[in-house]
Amino acid sequence: MSRSYDRALTVFSPDGHLFQVEYAGEAVRKGTCAVGVRGKDVVVLGVEKKSVLQLQDPRTVRKVVMLDDHVCLAFAGLTADGRVLIDKARIECQSHRLTVEDPVTVEYITKHIAGIKQKYTQSGGVRPFGISTLIVGFDPNDTRPRLYQTEPSGIYSAWKANAIGRSSKTVREFLEKNHKDDLTREESIKLTVKSLLEVVQTGAKNIEISVMEEYGKVTNLDLAQIEAIVSEIEREKEAEAERKRSRLAATAAGQAAMSSRADTETAPPDAPSQ
Amino acid sequence: MAETSFGITGKGYVIIASDTTSARSIIKMKTDEDKIKTLSPHLLMSYSGEPGDTVQFAEYVERNIRLYQIRNLYALRPSAAASWIRRALATSLRTRKAYAVNLLVGGYDTASHDPHLYWIDYFGTMTEVPFAAHGYGAYFALSLLDRYHDPEATLEEGLATLKRCINEVAQRLVIDPGKYKVKVVDKDGIREVEV
Amino acid sequence: MARRYDSRTTIFSPEGKLYQIEYAMEAISHAGTVLGLLAKDGVVLAAEKKVTGKLLDLSATKEGGYGGSGEKIFLLSSNVIGGLAGLTADANSVVNYARTAAQQHLLAYNEEIPVELLAQRLCDMKQGYTQFGGLRPFGVSLLYAGYDPHYQFQLYRSDPSGNYSGWKATCIGANNGTAQSLLKQEYKDDIEVKDAIGLALRTMSKTMDSTTLGSEKLEFAVLTLDPVTKQPKAKIYRPAEIDALLEKEGLAKKDEDTEMKAA
Repeated sequence: MSRSYDRALTVFSPDGHLFQVEYAGEAVRKGTCAVGVRGKDVVVLGVEKKSVLQLQDPRTVRKVVMLDDHVCLAFAGLTADGRVLIDKARIECQSHRLTVEDPVTVEYITKHIAGIKQKYTQSGGVRPFGISTLIVGFDPNDTRPRLYQTEPSGIYSAWKANAIGRSSKTVREFLEKNHKDDLTREESIKLTVKSLLEVVQTGAKNIEISVMEEYGKVTNLDLAQIEAIVSEIEREKEAEAERKRSRLAATAAGQAAMSSRADTETAPPDAPSQ
Repeated sequence: MAETSFGITGKGYVIIASDTTSARSIIKMKTDEDKIKTLSPHLLMSYSGEPGDTVQFAEYVERNIRLYQIRNLYALRPSAAASWIRRALATSLRTRKAYAVNLLVGGYDTASHDPHLYWIDYFGTMTEVPFAAHGYGAYFALSLLDRYHDPEATLEEGLATLKRCINEVAQRLVIDPGKYKVKVVDKDGIREVEV
Repeated sequence: MARRYDSRTTIFSPEGKLYQIEYAMEAISHAGTVLGLLAKDGVVLAAEKKVTGKLLDLSATKEGGYGGSGEKIFLLSSNVIGGLAGLTADANSVVNYARTAAQQHLLAYNEEIPVELLAQRLCDMKQGYTQFGGLRPFGVSLLYAGYDPHYQFQLYRSDPSGNYSGWKATCIGANNGTAQSLLKQEYKDDIEVKDAIGLALRTMSKTMDSTTLGSEKLEFAVLTLDPVTKQPKAKIYRPAEIDALLEKEGLAKKDEDTEMKAA
C-alpha cells in the first residue's frame, strides 16, 4: 500500500474494464448539461447554467470559454479539472501560432486535448480528468463549422449535434430526432435551446447560448434574446398541444358518434364529450 | 542602427513610428517591412536591431501577451506588459545567444485612462518617457522633441512634431531611412495613419 | 473492500465522486468560521480563532501587526488579504504558496497580482493535489479579499477541490450555513465599509458558539484604498483594536476583569 502512489491508478480489471475512466464518466454525468449544434454555416453552443446564489458574483461562473480567437469550448464535469485542462489548451493554441505561424485547426486542438486526457488514463499515480468537452469553431480560411467532443478516456469525435453532462442521453435522443442538415442560424439556435429545455426546467435564465458564425466571430446571446426564443418555443408547443387536443377531441367525437349510432337502437343519441 | 523609430505621447494617445527598410550590409532588401506589432487592443511595440532576432523576439512577445489576455479575459496594462518584455530581454541577455533588439512599447491604459510610452534597449534598460527614439535618427530627433514635444498636444499637433523629426532625419542622416509606418493607440484602440 | 474508494489517494468512486475532497470539506466544516463582506469602498474579513487551552500563550499574538495577528488572517500580497479555514498546518503552506505566487507576479510584471489570478494560481495548485499520485487534497478553504484596477474590490472563495467563485458576502468553516442566511437577509448592495464592519461583527457574534466576543476569539481585517495614494491598504486589526471595535459595536464582553481594557 505504501508504494501505491507510483502505480497506475487506472488499470484493467479482470473483465477488461478501466474502472477509473468509467467512473470519471460518472463525474461528467453529474455535471451540468452542454449542447452543441452544427448548422449550415454556423455552430451553436448551449449550456445549462446553475442558478447563481443571491450573494454570488455571476462573472466568475464560466462554462463556455474561448481557447483562441476562433475556437470555443464548453465542458461538463469537475470545474477545477476543466480550468486546468483549458489552460493547457490555451497555451497550445498560442504555441502553435508561434511555431507554425498559423492558428490551430479545431481538429488539431481537439486532438491535443484528447491526447492530454489519454495520458492521464495511463500514467503512474494520476486519476483521469473528470470532464467531457464540446469544442466548436472554424478552421482558418474555411467556412465550414466544426463540432467535436472529447471524453475522459481520451476519445474524440466529430458531430453534427451532441450533448454532454447531466441527462445528455435524453438530449442526444432529442437531437437525433430533430436535427436536419443545413440548418440556418436561427434554426440552429432554436434547436439548441429546445434540446436544452428537455433538461432545464427553469427556462431562459438558466441557459447560456454562444453562436459562432464565421472565423473569429462569436456572439453570446443576452437573457432577453434567449427569453424570446424560449417563449416562441413554448408558444409552438402550446399550439402543437392545442392541435393534438382538438385532433383527439375530433377523433373521440367521431368514435363517440359512431358508437352512438351503433347504439341508437338501445340508448338515446347522447354523445359523451370524450 | 540605420533603422529609426519614434514614439510620442500626447493628450490621450501614443504615436509609434518606424522606418520600413529591411537592409543587409549596404543593400536595401525590402522597403515595406512593418516593424510595429499590435500586442493587444491597446498596445503597440516597434522593434529594431539584429535582423532575425527582431522578428523572433517580437513574435515570442506577441504570443505571450496574447496568451495572458485569453487566460484572464483582459489584456495586460501597458506598464505590466513593458515590464514583462524588459525582463524577457534581460533574461535573454544572460544567455549564450542574446536577442539584440531595441524596442518602443506604447499603449493606452484602459484602467487609468492615460497613455504610456516605454523605451527599452537590448541591455534590458527600461524607462518610461514622454517621447523616445531609437537608431541614428535619435541623435537629431531627441533635441527636436525636447523643443517641440507637448504632453497636451492634440493628435494633429503630435503628428506634425513627428513629421519634423522625420524630415530632419531625412535631411541630415547620410542614408535617408525612407518611408515610415505610423500607428496610433488611444482609447478607441489602434489604427494606422499616413504622414 | 467497502473502503476501496475512500481510503487511498484521490480516485473516482463508482458514482464519479472524489471522496477525499468531500472528506476534506468535512474537515473544514468543523474549523473556525471565516466571513467576508464586499463593500462599495472596501472588503472586510472576520475570523473565529479556536483557543485550544487556557494555558496557550497568546502574548505574542497580542502584538498583532501587519502580517496578521495569528492563525486565520494573513496578508497574501499588499493588495490581497486571505482568511483561512481548515487544517492550520495546511493553511500555513497555502499562505506560503500564495505569497510566493504574488511576488512572482510582481517580479514578472511589476504590478500587484490581480486578485482573481491569485485565487486561480492557488486553485490550480489545489486541483493538482486532487489528481496526482499519492497526495491528499489540501484541507483548507480560503477567502480572498483584495483590490486590483481591473475589477476594483473583490471577494473570492476557494475550496479543497480547486474550485473558486466570486462573492459579495460569504462564509466558510463551522456554521457557514447560518452565517450565509444571516448575510443574505442583511446584506445591501451599496453597503459601505463602516457598516460592513458592524454587519460582519454582528454576524460573527450570532454564529460563534460562545456568548461573548473578544479579541482572543476573533481576528479582523479590512482592505480599503488609501485616501492619499489611492493604493490598496490592508489593515489587520491588533487585539486591542478588535476589543475597541467590539466595544463600539456594543458586542464586547460584559465582565470588566480582562486586561484588554488597558491595552
